[in-house]
Amino acid sequence: MSTQAPHSLARGTLLEMGLRANLLQAAWNFERQQGLGWAFAFAPALRQLYPVREERLARLAEHTAYFNTQPTLASIALGAAARGEEDRSHGAGGDAESMARLKSALGSTLAALGDRLFWFSLRPFAATVGVLVAMAHPRGGWGALALWLVYSVPHLTMRFGGVAWGYAKGPAVLSGDLRAWLEAGVRWLALLGCVVLGVALAWALAPGGVPRPIAVQCALAVGLGVGLLTAQRARPSPTRWALAFGILGLILAWRFHT
Amino acid sequence: MTAAGIGTLVVGGLAALDGTPVAQTLASQPLVTATLLGALWGDWSTALAVGVVLQILAASTLPIGARTPEDYSVGGVVGAGVALTIAAGAPFEHVRQAASLAGVLAGMTAASLGVPLLRWQRRWNEGLARWCEGELRAGRERALAESQWAAVLLAFAIGLAVTALWLSLAHAGARMVYRESLRLAGAWHLLQPLWLGFGFAQLLHAFVQRRLERAGVFAAALVGAWLVIVAGAP
Repeated sequence: MSTQAPHSLARGTLLEMGLRANLLQAAWNFERQQGLGWAFAFAPALRQLYPVREERLARLAEHTAYFNTQPTLASIALGAAARGEEDRSHGAGGDAESMARLKSALGSTLAALGDRLFWFSLRPFAATVGVLVAMAHPRGGWGALALWLVYSVPHLTMRFGGVAWGYAKGPAVLSGDLRAWLEAGVRWLALLGCVVLGVALAWALAPGGVPRPIAVQCALAVGLGVGLLTAQRARPSPTRWALAFGILGLILAWRFHT
Repeated sequence: MTAAGIGTLVVGGLAALDGTPVAQTLASQPLVTATLLGALWGDWSTALAVGVVLQILAASTLPIGARTPEDYSVGGVVGAGVALTIAAGAPFEHVRQAASLAGVLAGMTAASLGVPLLRWQRRWNEGLARWCEGELRAGRERALAESQWAAVLLAFAIGLAVTALWLSLAHAGARMVYRESLRLAGAWHLLQPLWLGFGFAQLLHAFVQRRLERAGVFAAALVGAWLVIVAGAP
């Protein structure tokens, strides 16, 4: 594709966009959210599509407007929007308003899918795998490595490959198999997460096959029970609950330790 | 300051970058940073004891939409750093356990106090974005890259400064932790499994999502793994 149309984007440009997408949230703010990072990642495409400096700067300023989505899947949006901008530069696409509409549609849809896959599923799954490995091999960095690999391999693959994918499919990227593929990922990760979590809890109860003292098992069970009750409500946050337990534990230690 | 202390500050700055501004690869998660610090200080067990507890809690803290979540990137480094600073050179196991407790509490507190700091940073970025757009309209194309790097530099500096502040507090409070180490170690024996169970519950809730078959899969995995682990033990 990159060699057919006079202004079509080179593979190197798409790669540079993927690389710059790593700074998508560098200047994240409440007003424009990822707007500035989006413009920074989009700049290589505009440089190629708009050789006239004034025109390019005007487009770049447009792209600093509000944008927000799940940061990993933002690469797909970058690629699809680059395709839309390419059409626009040829006079075949719409105007600034239609580009804003396209970005808004891509952002909200990919956020809905990406939050569920990367934040609600893959991130807790990677953490569970990492904690299990760290508990089973307490000396060495295997747990940290497992956590990092389980998350980063799909994350970075999508970040770099997503731009080319979005660019190849264009705005139609959302109507293809993407949704079904991501939904299947969420389902499988949740099931696998249940399995890994079960193994991790079993290991916490009897590390290396030696059951821990009954007081420790009771504390684990109490934590699990209270955790399941408090998880039904978003507030107070788990950290506040954990801090409250910490303060309570300190008071008990001071009160009863002789 | 020792080389390990300086290394901890740098890891604090880098973790602040990976948390939100750069790459978001989860290299800033407490388990990963605690492992790095464990290697740096030569004390795996203290670092991982803190890292595992903070990791379990961090896993249920999610940066969805415009929400500003607890900052476990810097909190994780603070937690392991405080514990390692206190435990450095301590000859007794109960002092290291007391240090782990102090580390986890410091990590959670730093993560919570990081929320207003992150909000301030994000408001500062609003000004940066407005400045950048103005500069672009005035014809300065480089303003975009400059504003990105300014935001990155600020995040690194904040991560490093917060870690430095907590490490100095750890130095100042180490004597008190030594003095009360028996009580704190007792509290650690109670709190560590409590926090683990609590964190497991948050993860279980995230995976099960009120679906009965997933709860069944979890229960089967728990019982099966327990039997295999206990029966397979020498």
